Amino acid sequence: MSHDNQQTVYRTTPARTGKMMIIMLGICIVGGVIFFSMWDYWISQPPPVVAMMAGEADHSAPAAQTGKTITEDLVFIESSDFRTLAFNALPGEPDNNPIINMNVGDKVVFNVDNAGKSFHAFGVTKDAEGFGGLIPGSEVASASNPLKPGMSGTSEFVAGEEGTYYYICTVPGHREQGMVGEIIIGPSQGGGTKTAAAPTGVSHDFTLDFVESSDFRTLAFNALPGEDGHNPEIRVNSGDEVTVTSNNLGKSFHAFGVVSNPEDFNSIVMNSAIAAASNPLKPGEGGSVTFTAGAPGTYYYICTVPGHALQGMQGNFIVE
Amino acid sequence: MVLELQKPRPIWQIMFSTHHTDVGLLYLITSVAFLFMGGALALAIRAELFLPGAQIIGDAMTFNRIFTVHGTTLIFLFIIPFASAVGNYFVPIMVRYKDMAYPKLNAIAFWMIPPAGALIWLGFADFTWYATPPYSIISAPGPAADMWIFGLKILGISSVLGAINFIVTILKCKHPDMSIGQVPLLAWSFLSSSLIIIVAIPTFAAALLMLLTDRLGVSGFFNPAMGGDPIAYAHLFWFTFHPEVYVLVIPAIGMMYEIIPRFSRKPIYSYNSGIFAFVLLSIVGFSSWAHHMYATGMSFTEKTVFMIGTLAAVPASAMHVFNFIATMWNARIKFSTPMMWAVGGIALFFSAGAGGVANAAMPLDFSTHDTYWVVGHFHLFVMGTIAFGSIGYLYYMFPYVTGRMYNETMGKVHFVMSFIGTVLVFFTQHVLGLYGMPRRIFDYPPIPEWIAMNQIVTVGAMIIGVSMAIFLINMIYSSGKGKLANTEDPFGVGGKYYYPFEAKNPSH
Repeated sequence: MSHDNQQTVYRTTPARTGKMMIIMLGICIVGGVIFFSMWDYWISQPPPVVAMMAGEADHSAPAAQTGKTITEDLVFIESSDFRTLAFNALPGEPDNNPIINMNVGDKVVFNVDNAGKSFHAFGVTKDAEGFGGLIPGSEVASASNPLKPGMSGTSEFVAGEEGTYYYICTVPGHREQGMVGEIIIGPSQGGGTKTAAAPTGVSHDFTLDFVESSDFRTLAFNALPGEDGHNPEIRVNSGDEVTVTSNNLGKSFHAFGVVSNPEDFNSIVMNSAIAAASNPLKPGEGGSVTFTAGAPGTYYYICTVPGHALQGMQGNFIVE
Repeated sequence: MVLELQKPRPIWQIMFSTHHTDVGLLYLITSVAFLFMGGALALAIRAELFLPGAQIIGDAMTFNRIFTVHGTTLIFLFIIPFASAVGNYFVPIMVRYKDMAYPKLNAIAFWMIPPAGALIWLGFADFTWYATPPYSIISAPGPAADMWIFGLKILGISSVLGAINFIVTILKCKHPDMSIGQVPLLAWSFLSSSLIIIVAIPTFAAALLMLLTDRLGVSGFFNPAMGGDPIAYAHLFWFTFHPEVYVLVIPAIGMMYEIIPRFSRKPIYSYNSGIFAFVLLSIVGFSSWAHHMYATGMSFTEKTVFMIGTLAAVPASAMHVFNFIATMWNARIKFSTPMMWAVGGIALFFSAGAGGVANAAMPLDFSTHDTYWVVGHFHLFVMGTIAFGSIGYLYYMFPYVTGRMYNETMGKVHFVMSFIGTVLVFFTQHVLGLYGMPRRIFDYPPIPEWIAMNQIVTVGAMIIGVSMAIFLINMIYSSGKGKLANTEDPFGVGGKYYYPFEAKNPSH
């Protein structure tokens, strides 16, 4: 295509280029000031889901375990047309979905076995319907990674309060098809239970600081694994007054608590929490808590931010 | 072509204009600015990895934030807006229409980019450009992570609006005398990539919302603690972002289709095979997403299907390469800067493609997954092919945009240094991956081979960095004081230029 480009073309002048450079430099300076002054602010809040996961505690773990352990063998079975599902035996037969009776502080160990042809998973919940609200530590497999036929697994559940709990198949729909049984929890049986001693007047001070490895994979109290003073074991006598001071020396969020079940960051006992997963200690912050050691037993001090105990922020807290 | 400015106008007239060359200029300046910002982060990453241990960046959190924003910036704020810049300048001229089909929509699509870029850059999230769940849900600190999610959301809308505009402009606004089989290949490349965007982006848009509601705790799609599955996110993400690879590469190939015949002084060897390959790529691009997840425990059948689906992209890519080679065959080639970038881009496209064929073999994936092999492979594509095609095209359009010539010697030095640097960086990263170095780490054990190769990579990156500084100086100096260009034939290759300087901006 031929054509004439006869209009005068004005090219950019150096002055215009300079003006544009000044404008862009101005944007860079203003942006840079905002950028660097707020660099740490933008990573200062944990995601809201953490608070909600931490706030899900509609059950409480017992302050003291009785030491009594019930072993329960449960088998997932299916009717030949797959319409009816159940534990151990089909409805109408003896031993169908056995009811478990236990008292506060008792521990039940589940040995579950998938004898069916479908996928199943196990868990204990307080909810009267649905497949949510599973008690941490009570699950075997999960709906997204279930037990295949022939597979089996083990989990445990410690009764924390009186009431009715349910053990269910956590695969959606299976509970409604019959895979549900009751756990009836009676009041604490006092007798075998150890109780807290009277205040002894002795007091202890401990410092448990949150530390992180530089790659954030390993978390610990006071020192990283392999170093001196890593997750020190704490021994106190029942009735002693304990003061714990924790400083967050890492870059992440942390919170302190003594728990009865290290897998359940909600099972805080003895009012021992410093901050909480929903309102944690930010980097550089610290806090302290004073409480009275309760009933004798083995407890655990952990970081109550979900996942941190599994990454190593967990030590023994033994009350004698 | 008239960016500049038959009557010099105040800058706000360009900013509030809806004319396609003005919007194209805004896209161009924004994307090149983000190229330098993202590139600076890359140099910081490489400087840190020069030696084992923490020297410059200091801790993993900051390192994670830097490489997250590096990836997000260069993909979403450089490559895609740069393609939009080229499309805005050239597509309406090529289909002989006065403007884009929806000029205001076009300006809106551009003006979504600065706020999105500000969200991403101010927050500096730390969960990688993949927003890895469940980390991104239960651990990634806010508000940076939420800002990133909103930024990407805005960019997704911007992409979809731009894609609608290109599709309508090409299909409905082309000159009545022009059949779809006469539309130049650059415009065809925008048609194909826009169709991919329309199909692919909604999946990721949904996944982003699910990620956000998971973070807020109202849902648990990807949160294992609430019964969700992070692998589901991987599927949703890669269903968008494997085709997105073709969204990035197809316009770059279209730009090479513009440069190579021009400087070979020959018509393109096979116009129809170019169209066929574009359309084929945009279809088979959807059959390969799960090859990103070979190591997540998929069944053998699924893996085989996606392996074949991945290999299906090979013939289409090879057709482009053969087309370029056949066009250059026996031609009187003039190796001006744009041509050097295009030819270098084709050579690296072939290398990256060969690596891609090797990647498609699923057994290999178990040893290369999450190593520097992967980093080397996709960077060779995005830098070696896409950025090379784009930078070559930037040199090509420079005289039309500014009315002045860039400095040819500096352009050639830029190319040679970048080419050497790219080969040093990304070929070495492949080998480093085979030696087992995992990606996304800021510190590594002092294994002699790892140290040596990391140092080669860092030196290569610094060479690219220096060449980019030369590029910046060249662009700034030449746009103000460069030699006046002959817009009829700025590169002195003869022949008829049938469109570039015909755009008429009514506000001039």
